[in-house]
Amino acid sequence: MTSPVAAAPLTPTRAPAQTSVIAQTWALSVRSIQSLLRQPSLVIPSLIFPLFFAALGTSSFSRAIELPGFPAVDSYLDFALAGAIVQGILFGSTTGATALATDIENGFFDRLLASPSTRTGIIVGRMAGGMAYGAFQTLFFVLVLLPFGLTIKGGVGGVIGLMVSGTILALAIGALMSAMALITGSSEAVQGAFPLLFIALFFSSAFFPRETMSGIYGTLADLNPVSHLVEGMRDLVIEGVSASALARAILVPGVLAVISIAVSLRALRHRLGAS
Amino acid sequence: MRTGQAVRPIDTRRTPHSAAAVGLAKRSIVNITRLPSAFLPSVIMPVFQSIAFAGTFFAIIQIPGFPTDRSINWFLPLGTLMGAGFAGIGIGFSTIRDLETGFYDRIRLTPAPRTALITGPLMAALIRAVLVTTIVIIVGLMFGARPTHGPGGVLLLYVAAAGIAALGTGWGLGLAFRFRDMRAAAIMQLTFFLLIFLTDAQTPLFIMEGWLESAASINPFTNIIRLARLGFLDAPITWNNMWGGLIAITAISALTLAFARRSLDRLSDS
Repeated sequence: MTSPVAAAPLTPTRAPAQTSVIAQTWALSVRSIQSLLRQPSLVIPSLIFPLFFAALGTSSFSRAIELPGFPAVDSYLDFALAGAIVQGILFGSTTGATALATDIENGFFDRLLASPSTRTGIIVGRMAGGMAYGAFQTLFFVLVLLPFGLTIKGGVGGVIGLMVSGTILALAIGALMSAMALITGSSEAVQGAFPLLFIALFFSSAFFPRETMSGIYGTLADLNPVSHLVEGMRDLVIEGVSASALARAILVPGVLAVISIAVSLRALRHRLGAS
Repeated sequence: MRTGQAVRPIDTRRTPHSAAAVGLAKRSIVNITRLPSAFLPSVIMPVFQSIAFAGTFFAIIQIPGFPTDRSINWFLPLGTLMGAGFAGIGIGFSTIRDLETGFYDRIRLTPAPRTALITGPLMAALIRAVLVTTIVIIVGLMFGARPTHGPGGVLLLYVAAAGIAALGTGWGLGLAFRFRDMRAAAIMQLTFFLLIFLTDAQTPLFIMEGWLESAASINPFTNIIRLARLGFLDAPITWNNMWGGLIAITAISALTLAFARRSLDRLSDS
């Protein structure tokens, strides 16, 4: 007995077009941002604490701006904004890398590797999410502090410069902490590395100018790239947009990003080789 | 069949309070060596904070009227109190871990008096606080800190640190018993952090402006920090500078330890 349905031809049908690299990376970026939005308890500290410290500093150090070595500013808040942005991005970027480590711990990272997605897209997607969050944090801090007397001499151009700088910094720190996640595969280890970033922040000119520091503290702050980054961002706020300010605000995190992405991709290759 | 050895009668008496408390304190102290990762942050952070703040905010001593000419003298007591507070709150963290693993249920099944479940950890917190204070002072001396009123002034720092550790223990235990999970840890840290920083932690009251000055003026922790700093500032130690801190320590410790005891009772009843 023959079936009334005609047999399908044995010639292979055309496979559906492969998802492009950009689409894959975009999908992973969206996932990264959604995971931040769905866990506000992880995100809120990176928005609240820098603002708290800025408010605390503004009230505590209002008379310190008259000290020799302090740049001419209307209030300590203008001086503190750049430090608050960098502090917030350090917090926020660690959160993204911790999520990557959690993916490794719970096996989701292996499932992504087993899928036909590009290897670098997995990492780039995570970093893109962090970059978007870095830009958002910068704008958030500016908008929240404006009603409290913040003055940005650079105007809209200065704010855009700050956002670009914040975005690149988020990429640099995100890549560095992602490398830590890939090397250790442990969210606890990523969290444990956070104090190192905190130390880098404190031994810089994020909270007080280098000119007011002495001895070993001054030397450490001079050598610390965070100092130069913060000072570039700060100049956009207290002096206005200039080539020198933009160069420091963008080139310093840019160089850090190139180095940390290289470390991160190397860590990814190592993990792929091991798995 | 009888053995040659006499069978020891089961001791049905309740475990004496002191023995139970000392046993629990010993367990907590032994954990310092067995789980150093849980204790080390409470030592490293205050040391780092004292040094980093002293270096970063070095210039504030140039503000006319600043009560010391060494920034480390100003920030060392603050770092010490942070460390002592986290030594107390750390007891709350370990209690949460015991509650989550079920070990605390076994402790509650022992004949140890309930009060010992508070006083034991309190003893451990005080020992930890003394350790932290000693380490921070030694490192601080290496970085240029100089006590201005001899051993008596340093003793006041130990008193303030012990007080902060006691109130931190009560707060940590109380919240651990209420929440029974890591949500309590976040609340413990956040509240302690806020209470410490909404004071004259960074600059003296007369230098501050605006909302922080108002908040610090009514925050009892300001009195505790003032007590801790007396031995490191140029101003003379007077009863007027001391009593506020001593009362704040006594009152807040009593309140938080009572909160811990009440929360423990609720935990046992549930």
